[in-house]
Amino acid sequence: MSAPRTSPTLFGSAARILDLSLGQMLWSRRSVFLGLLLGMPVLIAAAIRTIDLMYRSGIDVNGVRVQGATIFGLMIWGLYIRFIVPVLGVFYGTSLIADEVDDKTITYLFTRPIPRSAVLLGKYLAYLVCTVLLVLPSVMIVFFLIVPTAGGSIAAAFPSLLKDFGMLAVGLAAYGAVFALVGTRIKRPLIVGLVFAFGWEPAVLLFPGYLKRLTVAYYMQALVTHDMPQDSAVSLLMQVFREVPSVATSLVALTVIVVAAVWAAGRAVEQKEYVLEQ
Amino acid sequence: MSAVEQGAAAAVPDERRAVPRGSNIIAADHLSKWYGQVIGLNDVTLTVPPGITGLLGPNGAGKSTFMKLITGQLKPSKGTITVLGEPIWGNPSLYFRIGFCPEQDAFYERMTGLEWVTALVRLNGLSDTEAAATGRRALEMVELLDAADKKIGAYSKGMRQRVKMAQALAHEPELLILDEPLAGMDPIARRKTIRMIKDWGRAGRSIIVSSHILHEIESMTANILLINQGRILAEGNVHQIRDLIDEHPHTVYIKADQTRALARQFLSFDDVLSLKFEEDAIVVQTGRPDAFYARLTDLAASGELGAIHEVTSPDDNLQAVFQYLVKT
Repeated sequence: MSAPRTSPTLFGSAARILDLSLGQMLWSRRSVFLGLLLGMPVLIAAAIRTIDLMYRSGIDVNGVRVQGATIFGLMIWGLYIRFIVPVLGVFYGTSLIADEVDDKTITYLFTRPIPRSAVLLGKYLAYLVCTVLLVLPSVMIVFFLIVPTAGGSIAAAFPSLLKDFGMLAVGLAAYGAVFALVGTRIKRPLIVGLVFAFGWEPAVLLFPGYLKRLTVAYYMQALVTHDMPQDSAVSLLMQVFREVPSVATSLVALTVIVVAAVWAAGRAVEQKEYVLEQ
Repeated sequence: MSAVEQGAAAAVPDERRAVPRGSNIIAADHLSKWYGQVIGLNDVTLTVPPGITGLLGPNGAGKSTFMKLITGQLKPSKGTITVLGEPIWGNPSLYFRIGFCPEQDAFYERMTGLEWVTALVRLNGLSDTEAAATGRRALEMVELLDAADKKIGAYSKGMRQRVKMAQALAHEPELLILDEPLAGMDPIARRKTIRMIKDWGRAGRSIIVSSHILHEIESMTANILLINQGRILAEGNVHQIRDLIDEHPHTVYIKADQTRALARQFLSFDDVLSLKFEEDAIVVQTGRPDAFYARLTDLAASGELGAIHEVTSPDDNLQAVFQYLVKT
């Protein structure tokens, strides 16, 4: 039998790279570490639930009882979208190709009859699957622990859980694409990524103007489905994010960010020489 | 003109010079590669004909740079390089015709040998079943089928080298590029691998094999490219270089179970110049490497003096000779 001489398509090649990389990514030390990070909201949720069960007091903010679904919504925004998703994006996204370069296994992928951009795309898809698989159990557990707090109904809140999953997936896709681009173009991608996620984004979102459109978080705000409590403390927090684009605008913008960033990252990989340390 | 250049001029046979340019597997024209201020390869013009060609040079000579350029991992800073008649940089479809076995001992350690080779062959467009069958056949060719379902992390050095070769030849390429394929192998695996490479050559494949050990290369082919300090010093059948190298002592590092018994045996060899013990290893200097390696392989095959796990030869063997040559 003679081997074929026709390359698989870009997406076909990327699917094969995804297949090859997913197992490596899931069982990497990075996944173990970030898996532990994803345990943090679970611990917080468990603590809240324990307090609720022990004292039957629920959580009051300025005298107003906060429902379980609201606490869950706050956790989704404050912990997952604003902290965990960018962290996952930074740590995985910036290392999509760098890991293979450090491990010196990139040679095997770059000497196969597929475009280098397919390697990047496949790795990016593997990142998406891997991070969704990491985030999903954490969110599920938090949901089931938190929503029943203060007499909340799991059945009533369940549809919003599905929307939250969708929002988290979009967030992972957007941050992953941005940091994949950073990882392929910039020399110290981890530092730049962390500064972007935890310096630039929070700072720019505080001020009115157009600069906030140069963040992912600005567009992610529109996708938050949870009603926030109208008390003073949390309302104040919400005031900060008052200027929110429409859902349609956000989805279009995030799609453009993902496509443009992955395309630019793929171009960078095509043109870049990777000199492995001897 | 240095001794090397004089030797090369005499050594390149006429029939080799007569190979039409179109049928060369590699053609480099004023090829240079530099990394910032550091020159990796300097103004190299050469052609490599079909068949087996050895690339010989000490550490830092430019072998790896040349290998990376001909496998499209690096882009020439200046000049051009074509492989099988086409430019290689940014031309992934050429990898259907090329198989590359890199020097680095790097793998997805958690995968089995079969899973790894199959996954890589799938990137050549084979279906799952075709890729699995091709992977098995490739492992069979390198005599690794018995360990196909073992994790690569549990492979010995020799097995790791062979599984690397399996992924390179699985898709039946016209040109095989093997970077230091014998590094760290035990004598028996070394002998088997040399036999395999010669068999592939006889089967019509073109092979470029790099090494820093002349007698290894010579056991596979008489066509040699001699590289040092980023330049091709000589090409062709370099007997004169061989004679010069033979005059210099050759150091061999042998990792074995019974180093003292081996040492006693080596003392009876008239070509052994010195012996030194290291942890679980013995370092031997020999005046006739060919004879020494042949007897060492026989010793390993007989198993009389326990297992010999690894045989390596430091780069400074050739480096010393090259320093001597370029000063001449």
